[in-house]
Amino acid sequence: MANMIMASSKTLIPSSSYSSPFLPQKPRLQLPQISLPKFPKTQLKSLTNSTSLKSMTAIIAASLAAAPPSLAEVIEKAALFDFDLTLPIMMAEFLFLMFALDKVYYTPLGNFMDQRDAAIKEKLGSVKDTSAEVKQLEEQAAAVMRAARAEISAALNKMKKETTMEVEQKLAEERKKLEAELQEALASLEKQKEETIKSLDSQIAALSDEIVKKVLPI
Amino acid sequence: MNVLSCSINTLKGLYDISGVEVGQHFYWKIGSFQVHGQVLITSWAVIAILLGSATIAVRNPQTVPTGGQNFFEYVLEFIRDVSKTQIGEEYGPWVPFIGTMFLFIFVSNWSGALLPWKIIQLPHGELAAPTNDINTTVALALLTSVAYFYAGLSKKGLAYFGKYIQPTPILLPINILEDFTKPLSLSFRLFGNILADELVVVVLVSLVPLVVPIPVMFLGLFTSGIQALIFATLAAAYIGESMEGHH
Repeated sequence: MANMIMASSKTLIPSSSYSSPFLPQKPRLQLPQISLPKFPKTQLKSLTNSTSLKSMTAIIAASLAAAPPSLAEVIEKAALFDFDLTLPIMMAEFLFLMFALDKVYYTPLGNFMDQRDAAIKEKLGSVKDTSAEVKQLEEQAAAVMRAARAEISAALNKMKKETTMEVEQKLAEERKKLEAELQEALASLEKQKEETIKSLDSQIAALSDEIVKKVLPI
Repeated sequence: MNVLSCSINTLKGLYDISGVEVGQHFYWKIGSFQVHGQVLITSWAVIAILLGSATIAVRNPQTVPTGGQNFFEYVLEFIRDVSKTQIGEEYGPWVPFIGTMFLFIFVSNWSGALLPWKIIQLPHGELAAPTNDINTTVALALLTSVAYFYAGLSKKGLAYFGKYIQPTPILLPINILEDFTKPLSLSFRLFGNILADELVVVVLVSLVPLVVPIPVMFLGLFTSGIQALIFATLAAAYIGESMEGHH
C-alpha cells in the first residue's frame, strides 16, 4: 500500500514541474511525506484555467518541484506497512510479558484473592451457624426463666397462704385469749360490784343511823 | 518573490513544529534483518512499567487492600470478568493471555499519548506508542489466531475442524475466510485507530498549539482505552467461540 502511495507521488512530481521554469530552485524543503498525493493535482488543474490565481499555482508547483532527489529516497523508505524482524520480536516480547506477568501478578494475586474469598465465605458460614446456636441458647434461657418465674410465683403463693393462715390462727387465738380475759375481767368487775354494793349496804345502815342520830337529837 | 519565500518559510516552520513523521523508522540491523528500533525501545519501556508496577503493588498482599494493591485487584477482577463473559466457565487458563493483551495494548496506547517521548531525539523516526507500528498489531493479532486455534484443538481435538462445515458445508469458504479476516481486522483496527489518533493530535497542535488540541487529546485517551478493551474482548470472544461445543 505504501508503494501505491509512493507511486502516485512520483508521477505527480514531473507532471507539475512544467509550470515553473521561471522559479529559482528553493533550498531544501522538508514536506509532509504523506500529504503529497492527490490534493494538489486536482486543484492544479482547476486553478490553471484562471490566470488571476497563477501565483498561487506557482507556489504549489514550486513546493512540489523543489523536492530534491534526496527527498524521493526518504519517501521511498517512508513505509507505513513495513514488515520485518520487529514482528517476531514483538511476539516474543508479548509472550515473555505474558509469562512474567503471570508469575508476578495474575497467579499470586489471583490465588491470594481466591483464598481471601474462601476465608470470608467460611467465616460468614460459621457466623450463620453460631446465630442458630445463639437462638437455641436464647430459647433455653427463656424457658429457664419461665420455669423459675413459675416456681417463684408458686412458692410465693404458698408462702402467702401459709402466712395468712398462721396470722389468722394467731389472730383467733389472741381473740379467744382476749375474750377470756374480758370475761374474767367482767366477772371480777361484777364481783367487785356486788362486794361494793354489799359493803355499801352495811355502810348505808351505819350512815342512816348516824343521820338519824344527828337529825333527831334525842 | 517575497510573499512566496515568506509563505514557504511559514509552511516549513509549521512542519518543523508538527513533525509528522509517519512511516519513518529508526532502523537497527540484526544480522541481515532490519528491526524498528523505536518500537522496541517503547515496548521495553511499556513492559518495564507493567512488570515494575505489578511487582511493587503485589509484592506483599494484605488482607485489606490499599492503594496499589487495591487498583491491581480491581484490574484483575475486570480482566477475569471480561474473560468469563466471553469464554465461559473454563476461562481460568486464559486470564494471562487476555489480561496481558489488554494491559499491554492499554499501556502502550496511553504511553504514546501521555509520556513525553519527543524529548528523546532519535536520528531517524520518532518514539511513539508501540501499537503505532503495524508489526506490533499484526504480531498481537497473529498470536490471537494461534491462541484460538490452540484453544479449539486442545479442547476438541481434530473435531474442532468440524466447525468449518457448520451449519452447512456451503459456508465452508466463508468459514475459512474468517480465519484470515479475524487477525486482519484486529490488527488494522488497532493500528489505524492509534495512528489516526496521534496524527490528529499532531496536526491540530501544528495548527493551534494551545488549548484547542486538549479535547482531542482526551478523546484520544478514551479511544485508546476502548481499543485495548475491544482487542482483548474480541480475542476472548474468538477463543470462547472456538471452545464452545456445537451440537
